[in-house]
Amino acid sequence: MTAGCRSTGATPELTKSPGKAVLWSLPMLALSLFMFFGQGGIPRDPLRAIPLFCTLILVNVLFYLMIRTGKTDRYRAVFFITMAVLFVISFLAHFQEERGSMALTAGELIKGRTPFCHMVIPATIIPAALSRTIIFPGSILGPYSIASMIVLWLGASLAMGRGFCSWGCFFGGLEDGFSRVRRKPWIRKIAERWTYLPYAVLVVVVVMSAVLLSPFYCEWLCPFKTVTEYFEVNSFQTMLQAFIFVGLFLGLVVVLPILSRRRTQCGLFCPMGAFQSFFNKVNPFEIVIARNQCKDCDKCIRECPTFSLDARSVSLGRTRISCVKCGKCVDECPTGAIAYHVKGTRSQWKPARARMLFIYPAYLFLTVFGGGMIQDGLYRILLLATTGSMVR
Amino acid sequence: MNLLVQGFLLGLANGASCLTTCAPVLLPYLVGEGGTVRRNASPVLHFLLGRLAGYLIFAVFAWEAGLWIRSSPRGGLIFGAVYAALAIVLVTYGFSSPANTCAAGSMGSRLTAVRSRWPAWLPAFMGLLTGLSLCPPFLAALAGATSQATLLSSLLFFLAFFIATSLYVAPFPLAGLIGRSQAIRITGRLAAGLMGIYYFYRGLIMIYGGLRS
Repeated sequence: MTAGCRSTGATPELTKSPGKAVLWSLPMLALSLFMFFGQGGIPRDPLRAIPLFCTLILVNVLFYLMIRTGKTDRYRAVFFITMAVLFVISFLAHFQEERGSMALTAGELIKGRTPFCHMVIPATIIPAALSRTIIFPGSILGPYSIASMIVLWLGASLAMGRGFCSWGCFFGGLEDGFSRVRRKPWIRKIAERWTYLPYAVLVVVVVMSAVLLSPFYCEWLCPFKTVTEYFEVNSFQTMLQAFIFVGLFLGLVVVLPILSRRRTQCGLFCPMGAFQSFFNKVNPFEIVIARNQCKDCDKCIRECPTFSLDARSVSLGRTRISCVKCGKCVDECPTGAIAYHVKGTRSQWKPARARMLFIYPAYLFLTVFGGGMIQDGLYRILLLATTGSMVR
Repeated sequence: MNLLVQGFLLGLANGASCLTTCAPVLLPYLVGEGGTVRRNASPVLHFLLGRLAGYLIFAVFAWEAGLWIRSSPRGGLIFGAVYAALAIVLVTYGFSSPANTCAAGSMGSRLTAVRSRWPAWLPAFMGLLTGLSLCPPFLAALAGATSQATLLSSLLFFLAFFIATSLYVAPFPLAGLIGRSQAIRITGRLAAGLMGIYYFYRGLIMIYGGLRS
């Protein structure tokens, strides 16, 4: 690696020239133009056209900066947090429009129109294999359907492994945002054993979903029900469920991330994240630490948002299985010892090229997944500003 | 003889459902202990003996007061208390760190101390409490036992039921194949603790229902 690489921890040959950075960004521009305009051209309604152009500019400016500066997490986080916030706005407005309420009623459950999200995937596998039953009241095909989500998730998981949690999960951005509120953490030390809690939650969710033939996580443990859709509160049980959802959301997505500067829901609770960790074993990318450059300053351990680095893993030159490939450690390492790496290649094989090989598909997935959410979220905000309501 | 066959067949027919009660309790415990397949046989046996004790206690109870407990909504108080006790055991086991033995006075350290002296008591106690819990096959067995004429026949009926349902628990030592790393053991213990929280909720709901009736 060059001296320049050590100072930035990233892509020396690209950062030398803005022209080269533009050239590297052009394929993303072409792909995003195709994605945003390929289906219906430019909308005539300015409330639709403005969000579309804003999203296109946001996507490409952030990608250019990512290439130009060599910083991955800094610009990924902007996109990721924006996507999460606007997803919530878009989702809630959509359900206000469809149902007139955020509440999920028994009638809606029977209709089988509950949107399927990736968080339920691990719990559905065993019941589907054993009893050919999909334990989720959603539709198999169509938008927000079980099939479409599983196809997207499977493709992303094979390409990025647990990178899905930092480049695709539309919930992760919320706590990512809260974890960046304070400059220094109040809570510095969390016992290592709690980092195994997501795997325990995964075991419980999978076993109980198979035993009860119902999506146990959605019914009892999902913190994000607080900002998406909740069960209509009409009994002691639904009241308790709402209490748990709000408590988990406030605790794990808002308060603890602010106090610890970590993504505590992802790192200490999320069963989907735990499940996703196993895909880190089968995808082609990983984060490696060059031991000959590492000064053991432990900055990466302190900064890792999902507790995926510890003294042992650093000494071994790799991350723990839970790494979300956000790139924060790569950005923060003062000696440039941490880099993206393609499995099967030499340990310090062209880190800049390995990074590009990872961030291109990852960013493209983020754009495909989040572009529509950002557009619709912006549209709802404009609608609110011009008509006084987010609902058409 | 007919009585034994009836109990056995009932257990065989409903044993898979028994797993829904036993598996969430026993599997996290076995994974948390990180034993080999051979070493897991011992806690599974203790668990089964505890469960047998639970069944036999219930057999006596069923013969004496089975009809009452089936018809009285206040029976929920008893089963709710059993679930709550099971929850306390699981939560204490799951969330107490095995390294914290010096934390004098804590429930976790007491549990660790007792376990080091009598390693069999915890799986046996969990077996006893699951044996006393109200799962659907158990209700079927209860109905069969209450119709028996004598205490001995009630005991024999539950014994046959126990033997048949235990066949489904027999593969549990294979949990040792999962691995014995520290990470898997911690995960197993935490999963047991989380199951405890769930059983606590179920217990509270049952007690609440019993009190309201």
